[in-house]
Amino acid sequence: MVIGLEVHAQLKTSSKLFSSSPNQFGSEPNENVNFIDSGMPGMLPVLNYGCIEKAIKTGFALDFTINKYSVFERKNYFYPDLPQGYQISQFEFPILTEGFINIDADERQKKIRIERAHLEQDAGKSIHDIDPKYSFIDLNRVGTPLLEIVSYPDLSSADEVVNYMSSLRQILMYIDVCDGNMQEGSLRADVNLSVRKPGEDLGTRCEIKNLNSFKFIRQAIEYEFQRQIEILENGGTIEQNTMLFDTSSGETRAMRSKEFSHDYRYFPDPDLLPVNITQEQIDKIKPTLEELPHEKLERYINEFKIEKNISKIIISEKDNTKVFEKMISETDVSPKVIASWLVGDIFAYVKENNFEVLDLLDRTKLIMDLLKLVSEDVISNKAGKEILPKVLSGEGNPNELVKEMGLEQVSDTSELEKIIDEALVGEDENIAKFQGGSDRVLGYFVGKCLKASKGKGNPKLINKILIEKLQK
Amino acid sequence: MDKKIGVAELYSEYANKAKANLNNSYNYVIDDDENKLFIEQSQQRYASGDNLSLDGIPLGIKDLFCTKGIKTSASSKILSNFIPQYESFVTKQLLNSGSIFIGKNNCDEFAMGSSNETSHFGPVINPWRSKTSPDDDLVPGGSSGGSAAAVAEGSCVASMGTDTGGSIRQPASLCGIVGLKPTFGSCSRWGIVAFASSLDQAGPLTNCVEDAGHILNAINKHDFNDTTSSNHKREDYVSEIHEKMEGKIKIGIPSDYLIDVNQDILNQIENTKKVLSKHEIEFIDVKFTTTDFALSTYYIIAPAEASSNLARYDGIRFGVREDGESLDDIYLNSRTQGFGDEVTRRILIGTYVLSAGYYDAYYRQAQKVRRLIKDDFQRVFNEVDFILTPTTPNEAFKIGDKLDPISMYKNDIYTVPTSLAGLPGISIPSGLSSNGLPLGIQLIGNYFKEKQLLQLAALAEKELAFNE
Amino acid sequence: MSDIDIKRISYLAKLKLPLEKETFYANSLKDIIKWVDNLKEIDTSDVKPLHNVTESTESIRADEIKKDNSVDDVLNNAPERANNFFKVPKVVE
Ligand SMILES: [Mg+2]
Ligand SMILES: [Zn+2]
Repeated sequence: MVIGLEVHAQLKTSSKLFSSSPNQFGSEPNENVNFIDSGMPGMLPVLNYGCIEKAIKTGFALDFTINKYSVFERKNYFYPDLPQGYQISQFEFPILTEGFINIDADERQKKIRIERAHLEQDAGKSIHDIDPKYSFIDLNRVGTPLLEIVSYPDLSSADEVVNYMSSLRQILMYIDVCDGNMQEGSLRADVNLSVRKPGEDLGTRCEIKNLNSFKFIRQAIEYEFQRQIEILENGGTIEQNTMLFDTSSGETRAMRSKEFSHDYRYFPDPDLLPVNITQEQIDKIKPTLEELPHEKLERYINEFKIEKNISKIIISEKDNTKVFEKMISETDVSPKVIASWLVGDIFAYVKENNFEVLDLLDRTKLIMDLLKLVSEDVISNKAGKEILPKVLSGEGNPNELVKEMGLEQVSDTSELEKIIDEALVGEDENIAKFQGGSDRVLGYFVGKCLKASKGKGNPKLINKILIEKLQK
Repeated sequence: MDKKIGVAELYSEYANKAKANLNNSYNYVIDDDENKLFIEQSQQRYASGDNLSLDGIPLGIKDLFCTKGIKTSASSKILSNFIPQYESFVTKQLLNSGSIFIGKNNCDEFAMGSSNETSHFGPVINPWRSKTSPDDDLVPGGSSGGSAAAVAEGSCVASMGTDTGGSIRQPASLCGIVGLKPTFGSCSRWGIVAFASSLDQAGPLTNCVEDAGHILNAINKHDFNDTTSSNHKREDYVSEIHEKMEGKIKIGIPSDYLIDVNQDILNQIENTKKVLSKHEIEFIDVKFTTTDFALSTYYIIAPAEASSNLARYDGIRFGVREDGESLDDIYLNSRTQGFGDEVTRRILIGTYVLSAGYYDAYYRQAQKVRRLIKDDFQRVFNEVDFILTPTTPNEAFKIGDKLDPISMYKNDIYTVPTSLAGLPGISIPSGLSSNGLPLGIQLIGNYFKEKQLLQLAALAEKELAFNE
Repeated sequence: MSDIDIKRISYLAKLKLPLEKETFYANSLKDIIKWVDNLKEIDTSDVKPLHNVTESTESIRADEIKKDNSVDDVLNNAPERANNFFKVPKVVE
């Protein structure tokens, strides 16, 4: 299976690619539309430099060649969501060429080459399910800046595609170029898939359009792969087609074949002059580039001594790292301890209670207070886990909760000695066993002491005092 | 303007003529009521002495400029109900200068034509009549034919036109008035219904060169919203217009423009040469190598851009929607019924030259030849300050006479090269043909040399004494 | 010059030419394309295409929002609207 991906990433800018309308999701119908967006006669595009900056940042992050000369061209086709009757895109001279991403594939790294990335306008949306006879057009999305990232056909399984797509998403989110919200369509993939026997030429490819979740990408690839294999095994040939993925049936089907094939008649947009970027502009953008996921991963492992698998979980989402890095900046509890609490009980709580990870940001201080109590043995690990949900749900601060719930550990030596002395009364036989070399008896004594302290005794201290007393 | 003349009186003198619409030069004449406030405000400014540069001047506006709240049709059926909610940059400057709009001048549909016969609202009639066949209705030229006829008939002091391949200069010549196409990038295209974006340029049609300067002063401004608008320094195009030009002026006359030209036309050039020779002006024979290719280049590039620019007319968001069972039918019917023959033809040409398999041979080749044409002019401008040519190869012809598109396209043979190179050109009346019809000469300047170009044109105008 | 497929060209241009006009336009197009074919005489192998006489950008704007029209301004000329939507017959994909 040979797969190439065209990913459309909506850029996180304030305004649109060629108009000053808000680039905003979820507004009232046609609220974010001006005369340029609606394709009114005589309206002219003016390029948004913010989009150039985002493209250049992507260029750095994905090791692209950043082209100082790029040209906007018109891609001509008719569609009601496309007010101008053409999409302004880049064709012959894209802003970025020849980049790559390393992805995980079967326990090793695989380099996926990226052919190009270009800026273009998004189209509007039609709503078909309100009325049986009419469609309703909302042009809010018209002109939203997109970066179309086109990979080489270097991917060879659904897993690789998903890994590639999630790495890409992760990077774009890290560098603040795209919000990565696939449900809202901020990131969409067209999958070009063909099959070939080893050593043979590339087969005819089909393009599955507009997939906006990892689940659908996987389903669509698996279905389309089977479809093509079946055709070939029955002696048929694959027709080059544009396919739609039906999310309810999980099947792909060819879009209604048109009488004639498309011919987009690209030509340089005469309303826009070529874009000439200077080295100075590029140099100015470079220092604004945020730390990339793989750089963070290395730092967490090497600097913070956090295990690789835990580091990976944290860096998988930029939001996680925001919370984690805020936590370590607020305390002297070791990053390693924080990390294991975060990916363990804290994330579990977030998941169970449908929290957003970012909701933790205004609670990091309280969480750190709690972890400090644990690390300083004021309370036991177990007690900490008991308090955590209350801290996260905002029921109080850890110090008060410890008192309220009576979970403070007894670390007062004299008090513990009293408990231990009482526990050893009438245990001469077991004391003799210990002195005869049986370690098992120690556990028995610790348990007895903890029980006598109603679970509040500091186990480490109990252990220590017990050994001293028994060895006498 | 004389303070004593009332703005209202002046306005009604012109507006009444416009309302009579003798030559079909208006698609729409603005109601007196709608202009009442403008007239009063203008009169007040005169009274208080702080009048603006074009205060109270009645202007015609080619129906290609979007005017806020006023019908703008581009003389097309598909836009015949369109009322823009915005004002074009150029007309806004004119309003800011105090002028008052009489109405929207008829033009060729989407500015595609050289005779004003392609308008959905019918042809414009040239106010001039031939001595030999005075009963014939003649074309005013195009595409700004309504603008030219309106100025010639006296229903407005001046009119705003647009020029893509000669659409200001050619009708000005055929109607015996002045028409200026400024350097591409001088006057913003924002809010002008686009024909061919890399060529379209707004400019005035006026009775005299000085009026052209006054209007240029108002509209020649950088506009950030038009990426192709130049931000070069603008000058005052009027204050020194009648002053003697510095140094010795060299004017090139391209010999290749004058092959196979009729005697009437040759006489214009000879006469101009004669009357200007007494000034410190030297005439030099020059020769272009690309003239034979200019029309071909133009008739690839302009339709290509137009085919895409006109894709937005689909009956979905504005304009006339024709019924259809499906959405696709609405598209097809609205466009097929909404566009006239010439527009359809050019959309087809443009679609063809951009389509797969033909792009390189036609469109790309034309873009390359366009560079050669631009370079050709630059070579000539290394030798001379201005270029003198006829504006048109013939006088005004009878409505319905030129049915073959190619012979129509050849009308623009002298104006198209300048448009492709983006240079400024002005047509001024130079004399009458043997049939007693007006003819014009074209003066071409180097980029952004409008000030000098207008000085020379004013001198030629005075010497040619056409108006006397 | 190869033959002109007028059906395909009009399909791409979203025009539905009546049958009798198809021949008319096909012939007209053929004439015009033949007429412009003289460009092929010129050797342009070393020439860069010229898209616009101005070849560098002066207008690039900062990423700022500006709103100077209402939803009604945009929908004012709509042939059919439903609330704040443009309304069209159902699109079948
Ligand atoms: Mg695609
Ligand atoms: Zn795309």
